[in-house]
Amino acid sequence: MQFDITDQSPKISVERFLELSSETLQLSILAGSAGLKDRKISSSRIQKLGLALAGFAHYIHEGRIQIVGQSEIAYLNQLEIEKRHEALRNLDLDKICCILVTKGLKPPRELLEIAEDRSLPVIQTADVSSLAINEVTKFLGEILAPRVTIHGVLMGLYGVGVLMLGDSGIGKSECALDLISRGHRLISDDSVLIKKIGGSLEGSSPELTREHLEIRGLGILNIRDLFGISAVGKCKKIELIIEFVKWEDAGEIDRVGLEISKHEVFGVRVKKFKLPVSVGRNLSTLVETAVRVFLINLSGGNAARDLIEKHSELLTKDENAK
Amino acid sequence: MVEKKITVINRLGLHARAAAQLVRLAAGFQSKIIVRRCDTNVFADAKSILSVLTLAAAKGTELMLAIDGTDESGAMAAVEQLFLSGFGEM
Repeated sequence: MQFDITDQSPKISVERFLELSSETLQLSILAGSAGLKDRKISSSRIQKLGLALAGFAHYIHEGRIQIVGQSEIAYLNQLEIEKRHEALRNLDLDKICCILVTKGLKPPRELLEIAEDRSLPVIQTADVSSLAINEVTKFLGEILAPRVTIHGVLMGLYGVGVLMLGDSGIGKSECALDLISRGHRLISDDSVLIKKIGGSLEGSSPELTREHLEIRGLGILNIRDLFGISAVGKCKKIELIIEFVKWEDAGEIDRVGLEISKHEVFGVRVKKFKLPVSVGRNLSTLVETAVRVFLINLSGGNAARDLIEKHSELLTKDENAK
Repeated sequence: MVEKKITVINRLGLHARAAAQLVRLAAGFQSKIIVRRCDTNVFADAKSILSVLTLAAAKGTELMLAIDGTDESGAMAAVEQLFLSGFGEM
């Protein structure tokens, strides 16, 4: 059973953006603070106001930060005052969520006046445009990423982020504990926050349960206290999924290891192994081995394929000998 | 599969003790019981305490229950009853 994950793209107000970015980006507000709450940023991509100032405003996207750099300011400054007013009036200011002035430049007075009048936030950074664009895009990419929190355990094994799925009570947390005692890292137990960033999935723990693990009979454990700082991690790119299934529910199992199954989250496909669970199967050794198989496959090795090739050669040799 | 929307009505919300009650109740059923916050993409397995705590469901939070399995209707009635009783607080 699986819920439909809605691909809701979050939106944030300019005010929230300034709050969240206060440490990383150091932005200050120049005008239009009345619009901080109502104006919303909905895309991590930015735009340069550029041609829109020259009258070609068709491509202004709502919800994107508009960058005003040296060229925009120089363009406005060389216009006569009347033309400057006209250029600004021609912009559809209700469609713009906020303007970011780069390089610590001083924008023309007319821009600040019209922004103040229309409650359009104008913010400023000391960074040059290219750097500011990089930083803002990266930052917004993270906070606007589509996200979902699901039931599962996320661990880091040999540098690979491994998401373990399976019904409650099947032994995910016990397996995680075993893996931790073998020196692997816990990212999150029971509840994993997955964000789609660029083309990959980043997993982390909800703040509340970070570094905690629940084991039936022992209760909630603090893994950092019990095993130390190297036993926990904050986030990890999810590269491999392991699904535990009860033996009787396992259905057809690939006995050779040539079939590759994939699991899709937000359109990102991740390699998946389905591991039937039963008494006497050591799950943590199986998970460790699955990651080794994943790593060797990445570097081109494939035991199943090699063995089958050898086998076919053997058969043709026999055939020729006859 | 059966689905139903419920609201957290008790004053303290789905706090630790209430969450533990829910987990204990859910564990008694064979069915898989998923709880989702209606306002976000946060899904929890009702049989897992950390997962339920992650919902951070305060009073008034709307949750969607989805139960799937052979005893799904009994499980739905029992879980709903637990929420309606305010986890014994009322």
